Amino acid sequence: MLAIDHVHKEFGKVRAVQDVSFRVDDGVTFGLIGPNGAGKTTTMRMILGILTPDGGSIAWNGKPVDGSMRRRCGYLPEERGLYAKMKVSEQIAFFGRLHGLVEPEITKRTDAWIERLGIGQYADRPCSELSKGNQQKVQVACAAVHDPELLVLDEAFSGLDPVNADMLLNILNELKAQGTTLILSSHQMWQLEALCSRFCIISAGENRASGTLDELRAAWPTRILRVAPGSSAVRAMLERVEGAFFVADNDGRFDYSLPANTDFAATLRSLVGVEAVTSFEVIEPSLHDIYIRASEQVPA
Amino acid sequence: MNDFNDFIVVYSAEIVRRIKSRPFQIGLILGLLAIFAFTRMNGLLNSGFNDNNARIVLAGSAALTTPARKALSRDFRIVNVQTSAAAPTVTTLKRLDASLQVAIGRDAKGLDLAIYALKPNSNATGTIVHDLRPLNVALGTGVSASKADQLVNIRSKTRTVSAKFGSSGQAAAAFGVGSALIFFLYLLILINSQIVMSSVAEEKTSRIAELLVASISPAPLLYGKIASAATLGVIQMAIWVAFSLFTGGHPAQGDASLGTGLDMSALLNGTITPTVLISFFVLFVLGFLQFSMMFAGMGSLISRTEDLGSVSLPLALPVIAALLISMGALGAPDAPWAVAISFVPVLSPFVLFARIVMSEVPMWQILISVALNIAAAWAIAVLAGKLYRVGMLLYGRAPSLGQVWHVLRS
Repeated sequence: MLAIDHVHKEFGKVRAVQDVSFRVDDGVTFGLIGPNGAGKTTTMRMILGILTPDGGSIAWNGKPVDGSMRRRCGYLPEERGLYAKMKVSEQIAFFGRLHGLVEPEITKRTDAWIERLGIGQYADRPCSELSKGNQQKVQVACAAVHDPELLVLDEAFSGLDPVNADMLLNILNELKAQGTTLILSSHQMWQLEALCSRFCIISAGENRASGTLDELRAAWPTRILRVAPGSSAVRAMLERVEGAFFVADNDGRFDYSLPANTDFAATLRSLVGVEAVTSFEVIEPSLHDIYIRASEQVPA
Repeated sequence: MNDFNDFIVVYSAEIVRRIKSRPFQIGLILGLLAIFAFTRMNGLLNSGFNDNNARIVLAGSAALTTPARKALSRDFRIVNVQTSAAAPTVTTLKRLDASLQVAIGRDAKGLDLAIYALKPNSNATGTIVHDLRPLNVALGTGVSASKADQLVNIRSKTRTVSAKFGSSGQAAAAFGVGSALIFFLYLLILINSQIVMSSVAEEKTSRIAELLVASISPAPLLYGKIASAATLGVIQMAIWVAFSLFTGGHPAQGDASLGTGLDMSALLNGTITPTVLISFFVLFVLGFLQFSMMFAGMGSLISRTEDLGSVSLPLALPVIAALLISMGALGAPDAPWAVAISFVPVLSPFVLFARIVMSEVPMWQILISVALNIAAAWAIAVLAGKLYRVGMLLYGRAPSLGQVWHVLRS
């Protein structure tokens, strides 16, 4: 388990991370979400031991993170590149060696990753000759060739076209199935929602919310009720619910915001009493909604 | 232990990467070509600028040309002797493959020479006059040619009182070899330090740096890179020295136009001693470590390869200064300023080497200088390591001097 407790980091007068805490259990896929400049990359660098926290602690399976941790981790940074003139197979093998692999294991795993990514025809070509998409595949292989216990991916899907984004999604699902602990950051909420079982939202270097999607939703104060027909009787009835307010008219269906603790069954019964209701849907907040709201919160 | 393994992985990967790189291969070949040209320079100078060995035509009466031929044969090849003292044409000289015609006449004042040169810059006149001076005395006084030779040429031999060299010729050879080796040291240190800097900058600009520092700690990454460059520098040096010994000791055969070449093995005999070789190696390593770490540290701060030049120029200035000071130290190896500067790290690898080549430097001075350089290399390694750790993750605008100072102080 990765335990991050009250970590903070400053660069001169800039407070990059302030009092961030969360837990990532083994085998969990964890989404670290936040706007640009929120402190995600700094947090990830501290997890990997690239940066040392100014305060707080980071522990992996009960032991403080140090240099030896690097061999058991993989990292795909947001700003990533390759040695332009090095061959694809040599590049992957080099990163395998850096993570402590030795022959014949290096060749075996390098070949396996090349086959898995479908880049066999480029194995002996310099990376500079590869398309951007194929270079990104090689970068993923470099980060994961040593089968890391923990794989950290910063803005994993940034710059990927839909085909390559799907490819990466599949690979991450495979790693997840193998039991690799994954920490991801991305601005593509739907991808994180599909992959991650737990999340932490940070903004301006601070924890804003964390937990499973259900837990995050449970803490969300309102729900959207979508009801049809959008008649004056429905409107009059919903206006009487405490805390409710009109949000939008969607082609004859009303969207109303209601407090999360509203008795929706009772509300439905009341509506049926005044109107021939054809549609009644309580919409849970999406990760996107939660992220936007949490990011905009003014820190206490 | 992990750091050592990482160091070995980086070191071996860098060696392979650099050997395969075009700049290394081109540099090696250019060095070999330069050495080849240098070892042939003596012949080129003889053929192009020095016509003391020129082919000449003698003109005049047999009574004068016969003893003159004997006197001039020491320095020239006599290709024709004729009685007509008329000025030759260019065609005539070219037909005989001669560059000079010496017409010898005599009157009451002695020998009267008319020298016709194919090249306007011929410098053979002095040698001809020198060679014919005994003949002039013999003809004027009636003494024998050998006696005249004894009277004209005073015997002299310069004997050095220096314990370092057995003769002034050896000292002159040491000066020449020392100059060449110091220039060689300068090239090796500067070129290899710049290669280290380019390598660091390449990792930074290609955005692979963060992937690397996430895999291993920055120290083995930086030191592996520097050690590989030092190793390749030594290999490069060994290839060049072996090549220069080979080509210098075996001048091209059957090519008179190239002259005899520089007899490198004879030149090196007595000047390149084991002490000089060992000190060259040790001082190269010490100088390279200091400069390459400075270059690497600063190279990690740039985000664009276009900025390489502006960062490397200020760093190259101390290397150039060290080169110039050491050239002065070759001429005055025991001057107080030379002794003092040979204790100044960064400059001393060059200056101390110049003194070792030209003088008997006390062992205590060498040991103190080496110790100071090791201490300086260690201090630079610590500071460069700090810059490197921070610089490798720094993108965007180049940091200000204040920020660099802050990092170094942290």
